[in-house]
Amino acid sequence: MSSEPTAFLYPFIDGDEGDAASLLTDLAVSARAKVAASARLRADTLTRSRAEISAAGAAMAERFARGGRLYAFGNGGSATDADAAVARFRRPAAGVALPAASLVEDRAVLTALANDVGVEVVFARQVIAHGRPGDIALAVSTSGGSPNVLAGLAEARRRELLTVGLCGYEGGPMAASGDVAHCIVVRSDSVHRIQEAQDAVLRTLWAEVQAALPAGPGV
Amino acid sequence: MTTAPAPVPEAAADDLAALALVLGRRFAAGATLWCVAPGAPHHARHVAVEFVHPVVVGARSLPAVAVSDGDDPVEAMRLLARPGDVVLAIGPGDDAALARLLRRGPAWGVHTVLLAEDPVAAPVADHVVRVGEADAGGALLAYHLLWELTQVVFEHPGLLRGPGPVPGGDTAAGTAGEACVTCSDEGRLAEVRRLADDRTAVVVAGGHEERVDTSVVGGVGPGDLVLVHAGLAVAVVEGAGRP
Repeated sequence: MSSEPTAFLYPFIDGDEGDAASLLTDLAVSARAKVAASARLRADTLTRSRAEISAAGAAMAERFARGGRLYAFGNGGSATDADAAVARFRRPAAGVALPAASLVEDRAVLTALANDVGVEVVFARQVIAHGRPGDIALAVSTSGGSPNVLAGLAEARRRELLTVGLCGYEGGPMAASGDVAHCIVVRSDSVHRIQEAQDAVLRTLWAEVQAALPAGPGV
Repeated sequence: MTTAPAPVPEAAADDLAALALVLGRRFAAGATLWCVAPGAPHHARHVAVEFVHPVVVGARSLPAVAVSDGDDPVEAMRLLARPGDVVLAIGPGDDAALARLLRRGPAWGVHTVLLAEDPVAAPVADHVVRVGEADAGGALLAYHLLWELTQVVFEHPGLLRGPGPVPGGDTAAGTAGEACVTCSDEGRLAEVRRLADDRTAVVVAGGHEERVDTSVVGGVGPGDLVLVHAGLAVAVVEGAGRP
């Protein structure tokens, strides 16, 4: 077995094997297994979290209907997932366009806060600047333990924003914090599989918001 | 509520395995992975962070870059990509702007990949991996797997030295797949860099500059994609302008 740090990803692949055709076969078999695992986790998560996602969607729709804005944030890959969620609300393929903004979009603000104060305030400080009672904070994390994400949620809670959080593993500090009105946990310990399930959760959450919006003009 | 199965088709597993081997070999030879997703720039940034800052502690950092949303991807890649690099595009499989970018891969000597959302038109890249409907999770799953598989390829140093690092060495990308109109032989795709005089131009083919006779095709200009055979530009494949 290989002693490479990624060996656990494919524990049955022999690190000494030197035949490209054999490696390609093993990689494809492993990829199929991961595709299946991803599908299972998505389905399990959507089933288990159905009520929480519906409740979050209804609460978000109520905020949107009263003029609230959505602010989304996260770190790394989760930052791009937050961006994707914002794009879906702002520019939906179908349905109503809704006011949403990404707190990871402005690199001047992010670098100024990170450099002048510290990376732990990059979201909280923006919530202070932009957030009002009636708005929505949507946090995406895999660990559920990123200090800057937790600080952003805590600040949003203090300012009476609706707080919605996505996390993985067993929920981590996010699920335990008491700052998240709707916490949706993807029960896995693989960052990649968690993100794939969270992507499905975010898409479903968007659909729930659209379905819960009051009908008619003015929305 | 959606409980659909994972959106990546079964066949994509084989495509991703083959692509991971090419990508591993290219990285080992010094390549940069350029990520282009004009309709969904978050995908390009996600690919970049995946490779540069892996979530698995101890996994190697590999050079991947999201091409800025504000750039014309053709202009950006012409300037930034070096022969041997890999351009990975994510978007609709029938997207004309992405096709215009990817078609130039053989001329620049870069390997091209399209994570293609439905509908998928004729293949325009060295690797086309079908990822199902747009915004259904298929692209995310595909590049996650690509990262995981590429890391595994690095655990096989013998295989990293296999064929592949040399531009055009691992696929038929060096040829245009079109026949020369004068001799029915295969031509090579080339992009016009500049005009030398009224009968010759400097073009780049397979990542290398050469002079070709343009008297057959007439008024070509910088950025035009031409088919070259035996030192002669025999056809204009695509103009320099946007489609």
